[in-house]
Amino acid sequence: MKMGIPIPNPKLGMWLFLGTEIMFFTAFIGTYIVVRLGAGEKWPQPHDTHINIMAGATNTFVLIVSSFSVVMAHAAMGKKQFESARTWLWVTMALAIVFLGIKAYEYYGKFNYDILPGRIAETPSQAISKVDRELETVVRGRLSVYTDETVISNTRPDDLATVVPQLQTFQQGGEPAEEMDTETAAEHRRQAAIDIELFQKWKTLHEHVVANVSLVALKSAEISSYRAARNELNEGDRLPELSFNEVDDYLKDMKANESYGTSVRAGVFDPQPVLYGNLFASCYFLMTGFHAIHVLVGMILFGLALYQGSRLNEKWVDWVENSGLYWHFVDLVWIFLFPLLYIAS
Amino acid sequence: MSHDDHDSHHVNYLAVFVALCGFTALSVVFDVMSFESHAVTVVLVMAVAVAKALCVMMFFMHLKFEGNWKFILLAPTTILAIGLPLALMPDVGVAYYIPTAPQQGEWGEQMKEYRATHSGGHGHIEDAADDEPANQTAHETEHSESAEAHNSSD
Repeated sequence: MKMGIPIPNPKLGMWLFLGTEIMFFTAFIGTYIVVRLGAGEKWPQPHDTHINIMAGATNTFVLIVSSFSVVMAHAAMGKKQFESARTWLWVTMALAIVFLGIKAYEYYGKFNYDILPGRIAETPSQAISKVDRELETVVRGRLSVYTDETVISNTRPDDLATVVPQLQTFQQGGEPAEEMDTETAAEHRRQAAIDIELFQKWKTLHEHVVANVSLVALKSAEISSYRAARNELNEGDRLPELSFNEVDDYLKDMKANESYGTSVRAGVFDPQPVLYGNLFASCYFLMTGFHAIHVLVGMILFGLALYQGSRLNEKWVDWVENSGLYWHFVDLVWIFLFPLLYIAS
Repeated sequence: MSHDDHDSHHVNYLAVFVALCGFTALSVVFDVMSFESHAVTVVLVMAVAVAKALCVMMFFMHLKFEGNWKFILLAPTTILAIGLPLALMPDVGVAYYIPTAPQQGEWGEQMKEYRATHSGGHGHIEDAADDEPANQTAHETEHSESAEAHNSSD
């Protein structure tokens, strides 16, 4: 006589585990729904966060096919058709790999546009200071060939300015760093001239950001010219403030530049303020990331059964059934994640 | 009464599979059709998701054929799962107060300018540190929540 719930212990264990899993994912999904409702109309559009609906729909389809294949594997196990079961398990495995491949492609898109938690500018002024900081990193990288680590890694931007006079001297033909032939020296001087120009471009931007004064209205925001411009103002007037559009145009010009444009394009993202972008990115990566981990675990479960090769026999019926239950749950989670993340945005 | 014998019920898995594919296509169609209100799309798409989930649970996970133990096991977790968002809702989802997320105040006015044009022009930029001027932000803060206040990326 068997007491309690009339199912095999492994299956009971799996269902209890799935019960905890429901609550695990509901914590994330529920939080997302609540936060999403709270943000209302201002929640980022799929376009802003580079959400690819077709990739999500394809992945939904892939998981549904894999759910079908795993249920077929289980049915074949029940009929003792172990060869057929193995084929279906391989199909499931392949589909899991396809799913993760598409997921990786999507993640790559996010990284490509810096749609990462804590890295998204939410307001125009945040976008401006992000450009400023990224450009500074580019400049530091370019100047690092001329000077030592302590200057480059110093967090005070002013210290970079000490590198430039040395560079200028070098560019004008004095103080060659070491013995080199004239051709190399000429090339280095050309390079130095470019780097000085890039530094000046960043310095101009940085000073305007610090002073919060328009790039167009005031050519230089160096402290002396800034004060001079302020002194010319009538009482009660203010200097025009730095606008996002100006910085956007300024950066576009820099990216189009022949000599240093490549470095700027590589190091500075196109500025795009996305209100609530960080909250979205946190939710997105938390939910899809944990889901992807579950897919990996499912692959391990199927992999262990497939590892048996032709030794797969009736002892593995429970294993395949329970892995299948788990896999269906992974599919279920995605069935809800897809509309919530890809369509409800 | 044991229900482990899976040969005792014959499910046409292929039919379930085709239904699931149809539902997936349907949710994409709902997304492409632009309804007057986005809320309609969301409700329809979520309804499709629930239908898909029911298909998977009933047939692929065999819950249709399982004994009453399934209710003992799944009812508590389902109740807790539904309870959690409902418990969070009054605090974040439907706040009665006017939220003051700092990034919101700055956003509306400037991005209107950004979206309107890409030509230079000097728009008025509010410093994020400034207090939000009431005339600019009143229409930007109709309903939202305060939970994002911590989310400012700086």
